[in-house]
Amino acid sequence: MSDRQRVESLVREADIYRSQGFLVAAKQKYMELLQLIQGHGKYSKNEKLISAVERKIRSIEKDMSEVSKTDAKPQLSRETQDLIQKLFSFSKNKETATMEGAVALAKFGQYQKALTEFMRLMNEGILPLEAAKNILRCHLSLSPPEVALTQYKSWVSRNDFPPDDLKYLRRFLKNLLDKRGVKVEIPEIVEPAGKVKRKKKAEEEVLDISSVGVPLNLGPLKGETVEFEVSFQSGNTISIVVPSDKTHLLEAFRPGLKLEDMQCYSLIAVFNGTGVVSGKSEITSGPKKGDFALDITISGD
Amino acid sequence: MAIFNAKDRVIECKLVYYGPGRGGKTSNLEYIYRAGKKYAMSDMVSINTKGDRTLFFDFLPIGLGKIRGCDVKVQLYTVPGQQKYSSTRKLVLKYVDGIVFVADSLEIRRKANVLSLKDLQQNLAAQGQDVFKIPVVMQFNKRDLGDKEIPIMPVDLMTRDLNSKLKAPVFEASALKGTGVPETLKKCLVLTLQDLQKELKWTE
Repeated sequence: MSDRQRVESLVREADIYRSQGFLVAAKQKYMELLQLIQGHGKYSKNEKLISAVERKIRSIEKDMSEVSKTDAKPQLSRETQDLIQKLFSFSKNKETATMEGAVALAKFGQYQKALTEFMRLMNEGILPLEAAKNILRCHLSLSPPEVALTQYKSWVSRNDFPPDDLKYLRRFLKNLLDKRGVKVEIPEIVEPAGKVKRKKKAEEEVLDISSVGVPLNLGPLKGETVEFEVSFQSGNTISIVVPSDKTHLLEAFRPGLKLEDMQCYSLIAVFNGTGVVSGKSEITSGPKKGDFALDITISGD
Repeated sequence: MAIFNAKDRVIECKLVYYGPGRGGKTSNLEYIYRAGKKYAMSDMVSINTKGDRTLFFDFLPIGLGKIRGCDVKVQLYTVPGQQKYSSTRKLVLKYVDGIVFVADSLEIRRKANVLSLKDLQQNLAAQGQDVFKIPVVMQFNKRDLGDKEIPIMPVDLMTRDLNSKLKAPVFEASALKGTGVPETLKKCLVLTLQDLQKELKWTE
């Protein structure tokens, strides 16, 4: 390849990469080109050429800077927000589906609309604890931490939740604030003497759990967390499959074993739970024949 | 999550275009929308950022009319390819019935292709699906750039990188021009509807 062809090839590549949005690769090609020109006996005297390539590089750097400044989660139109809610509400259960739609809005950065939805859900007594957690998340995404704290305090002062739930929400808020490096005092929960209002309704039902992370406290993998897909769920009892070659797991998971600090993943939330191995049986037919089905009865944290 | 309404004889399924950023997923959907407007059930929805990168997803619902006496409706989605949008990809992938993996033929995107396929496998596994069991069609896009003397990977190399174990049907394409786009979609639809037949018996 002649020097001229090499120059043409680099320009062609750089231009295509730029047009396709591969700005780093485009800049790299122009840098290569600049190096080649500057070290070339003939081209190095062509100031116009050098200046043109340098302009290209500056222009790409400007593009890169603009792309990096782009709002990662812009506000969408009302129609698009409604579409997101509709498309990402999967459950047949209407209440759970409404929660899923609101969670999707938050995931797509539509915090204000999501906040309105979570408030509505909470007021209607639909999955209030989940709604409350997401309200705190939205506040923290939209406003200074004090707003989330004020929200939490208002739930406490109005006894909107039972003490255990308020304690849970306090821990949840503290975790969120810790992650953001915010140090503020969150009032401890003192058990009230009187009755508390309960807004729970659908929440009494256990969420559908798709997978669990179980920390191992014994055996060669002690200290590690093993993740399992949930193959079946009935109420608060889930079934997972342990392959027959995972002998250390099969030995560790004996019926009656208490499992602390399990991470339970559902479509709408991740929560900690404790569980007890309530059954273990060998699978005797089908593609998983020889593996073991393990039943774990879960209680939320 | 395919839905089959046996009473009204309607089946709805979901196909997702997956692959590395700027690989041509949105171009596929745009071509389908332009070329097959009569099948589109509404306008295509795209949520882009500066530089036309897909930010959240693209969405195009199409109706294929009656197939074996059943009204077939398909939701086409793309995911954002950039690595940082992992949680969005997971959400869009939820309850998917079939996948088109759009690989970028540019040499500089070799690693990005492999990482994206691995990401797909992991995200499917996290929702209890297996990349080896779900219908997948592989598309090697931007083949036309070779004619412009831009370094692209030979098909053999891409097959070795991406499809040696998966053994999905492969289509060479130039999504901007539409080359290979209808064939890719058609194959994915056929595989997906066949797969759903086993599960839902929708043609009986």
